[in-house]
Amino acid sequence: MDQQRLSPRAVSSAAALIALVAVFSALSPQFLSPRNLSMLAIELSTTALLALGMLLVILPGHIDLSAGSGAGLLGGIASVLVFKHGWPAPAALLLALAVGLLLWRSMGWLIVRERVPAFIITLGGLLVFKGLFWLVIHNSTVPVAPGGQTNLYAALTTWYLPKAAGWALLLAAWALLAWDGFKAKGDLEPRVLPRLVASQALLLGLLVANAFRGVPLPVLILAAATLFVVVLTELTPFGRWLYAIGGNEEAAVLSGVPVAKVVLGAFTLMGAFTALTGFLQTAYAGASTTTVGDLLELDAVAACVIGGTSLKGGRGTALGVLSGALIMTLLLNGMTLLAVSPEYKLVVRGLVLALAVWLDTRLGGR
Amino acid sequence: MTPLLEARGVVKRFPGVVALSGVSFDLRAGELHALCGENGAGKSTLIKVLSGVHPAGSYEGELLVGGRPASFASVRAAERAGVAAICQELALVPEMSVAENLFLGDEPRRGPLIDYPSMRSAAKALLGRFSLSIDPDLPVRELGTGVKQLLEILKALRKESKVLILDEPTAALTASEAGRLMDILRDLRQRGMGLVYISHRLEEVFALADRVTVLRDGASVATLTAAEAGPETVIRHMVGRALTELFPRRAAHPGRPRLEFRSLSVAPAPGRPPFLKDVSLSVRAGEVVGLGGLMGAGRTELLMHLFGAWGVRVGGEVLLDGAPLPPGAPPERLAKGLALVSEDRRRFGLFLDQAVGFNLSLSSLSRLSGRALLDLAAEAEDNAAQFGSLRVKAPGLSARVGGLSGGNQQKVVLGRVLMTGPGVVLLDEPTRGVDVGAKVEIYEVINRLSADGKAVLLVSSELPELIGMSDRILMMREGRLTGEFGRGASQEDLLTAAMGK
Repeated sequence: MDQQRLSPRAVSSAAALIALVAVFSALSPQFLSPRNLSMLAIELSTTALLALGMLLVILPGHIDLSAGSGAGLLGGIASVLVFKHGWPAPAALLLALAVGLLLWRSMGWLIVRERVPAFIITLGGLLVFKGLFWLVIHNSTVPVAPGGQTNLYAALTTWYLPKAAGWALLLAAWALLAWDGFKAKGDLEPRVLPRLVASQALLLGLLVANAFRGVPLPVLILAAATLFVVVLTELTPFGRWLYAIGGNEEAAVLSGVPVAKVVLGAFTLMGAFTALTGFLQTAYAGASTTTVGDLLELDAVAACVIGGTSLKGGRGTALGVLSGALIMTLLLNGMTLLAVSPEYKLVVRGLVLALAVWLDTRLGGR
Repeated sequence: MTPLLEARGVVKRFPGVVALSGVSFDLRAGELHALCGENGAGKSTLIKVLSGVHPAGSYEGELLVGGRPASFASVRAAERAGVAAICQELALVPEMSVAENLFLGDEPRRGPLIDYPSMRSAAKALLGRFSLSIDPDLPVRELGTGVKQLLEILKALRKESKVLILDEPTAALTASEAGRLMDILRDLRQRGMGLVYISHRLEEVFALADRVTVLRDGASVATLTAAEAGPETVIRHMVGRALTELFPRRAAHPGRPRLEFRSLSVAPAPGRPPFLKDVSLSVRAGEVVGLGGLMGAGRTELLMHLFGAWGVRVGGEVLLDGAPLPPGAPPERLAKGLALVSEDRRRFGLFLDQAVGFNLSLSSLSRLSGRALLDLAAEAEDNAAQFGSLRVKAPGLSARVGGLSGGNQQKVVLGRVLMTGPGVVLLDEPTRGVDVGAKVEIYEVINRLSADGKAVLLVSSELPELIGMSDRILMMREGRLTGEFGRGASQEDLLTAAMGK
């Protein structure tokens, strides 16, 4: 649609990114090491995946507070199926995904048909899913793979793209960028610079990844998910309708937008994103433990808001959310490297969330 | 005799609009003074000035209470000076008891605590004065609308008011409730209070009022003694303006009926009594049918129901191009070639933070997409075509709609409807808050629609517009059709049908 201009919000998040990188790399020599950057990329993938799902729910003016404990539950269901019942990992993951779709569709139904506010339904979900999670894993530690073996579940965060394949993928991505740039109508020039910057960033990312073990699988999943959300929000009627509902629901109804269907769809998709995040988060931890997924929903909301999403709905982009997630991940990763105690990490997370919402109201315009 | 309350040359401006352009008005003790005028004539603005809703300084002109200049900084200040207004929206707290509501904000106290026993007995005494047998401990939500209205009046009386302003107090009342209210008003007049009364029901005005002041286009045009003037005189003063060359209606040859209602009755919700009663009408291809009536007569509800956005059908049927149209939702309506331009474009029509292009194509996205993805090139082309043919004055398709003028915003809403390629177009107040130039352009669009064989149902509260642009006019009143008029109808005829006189 209209050309992206440099808003105060974009400038401030770019400044925050640069400042975070500068501070952490000055304070900790390992921060910029290929190994840490690879870890950071995996952590970014989980936060960003959930935030992308959250965007789909926030755009039409709703919210999902149950995503974090839901991610724990769905990861836990898959772990238990694999470890205690000997299911093959793909089947376990598929079943957990199906449970996720069903649970979120039901919550969406309550919100749309019974008109219970999403805040309440998903707050209930937060508690219910947490309780179910602990029941499912019996308050114990359930590994994602039987001892010493590996499977698809464990591989989610331990598999790396072979280095040569990484180069092939980079070439494909460049080709896609170029093709997309030339295909669009109108003046070519404004599209050159952003694409050049994106190409170089991809190149840099690949060089860093290949300096460690290659591109981590979660990054590939995140890339695919981002592409999906970008296409969904910008190139489909469904995406337009998300913005319309969040912008003015009454007008959306009278413009023929199938509001109930769209909101139901957004929540169902959120179920899929929650399941994926849960799988990655559990695999990254190596096992389901009672704390997997704790407070992830708040990181996701913070990533959305920092990335320019309005909590009232109707405004926000996938790429903005990605940058918001990057800020949140940098912050957490850097604090871990600096051995900041968990108490202070919680305080900082809370302050950043409050600051982001405050900035949203100040910069929000209307 | 010094008037209780007097307004001299009041002028009230809003950004871009002059709501009152010199109103003079006086109220004597022991008098019931009615205010009459068409929708938008300035009645509500005037009572907001009189009751302090618009504070002193936000308008020009003088306000006098008991002969002395008064400047109300707030509603509270007006109440202290003895002027109380009872609004159309009731200001009662439904969860609180009758007594608590009567004394809200001014509760009798014993130390820091509310003195409930004395509050209850005071409430009982007050209710007794008007022979109302209501339990003061009853929560207000359990009372009917009529009793609530009376409570509002008691609330105002408790504050020792000398002047009581009532805006459409009987609009939501049953006939017997309205009768009781009128008895109480006569009683108050007897006691020397001054009453300002606004009502669309002329029979009520003439049953109660001593004098009538008529407002038109924000000015007071006449103050009449009710006993001498009849309803005809009042209506003549209310209308009073000449039809201009503003309306370029070019009638087309009407063809087959495209839209028909047969004895349609619609209730607001399941189990409620019908609000639209026994409505039968038809609109033919190439015809513009005007639908007139007062606010709340049911015109908007009729259009919204037809579009699948309001009410439950309890009787009758709707035919679209001869085929029965069962109840359904807006997306199906659009698919069947019905389109609605809703009233209040900022609330029901526009996505103010979004671009013009977003707003234009929103109802046509299904047509503009392939199997899954939007065809952005086709969308841009269609948007540009509407943008150009409606002559929207905006920097471009990516301009924010919220930044456009009212007329251009309305064109965007109209463009969205036209882009769906409708066969039947429902227009609800399509020119409200639109400047004259854009109005004429919108009329030209209506002409184009009917020349193309579309059926147009036009709701308007502006009688000249209704007369100027419609091939036939139907008037509605309280959910029923009350009259049908041809092209030569006079405003007096229409008003009479609208007001039931």
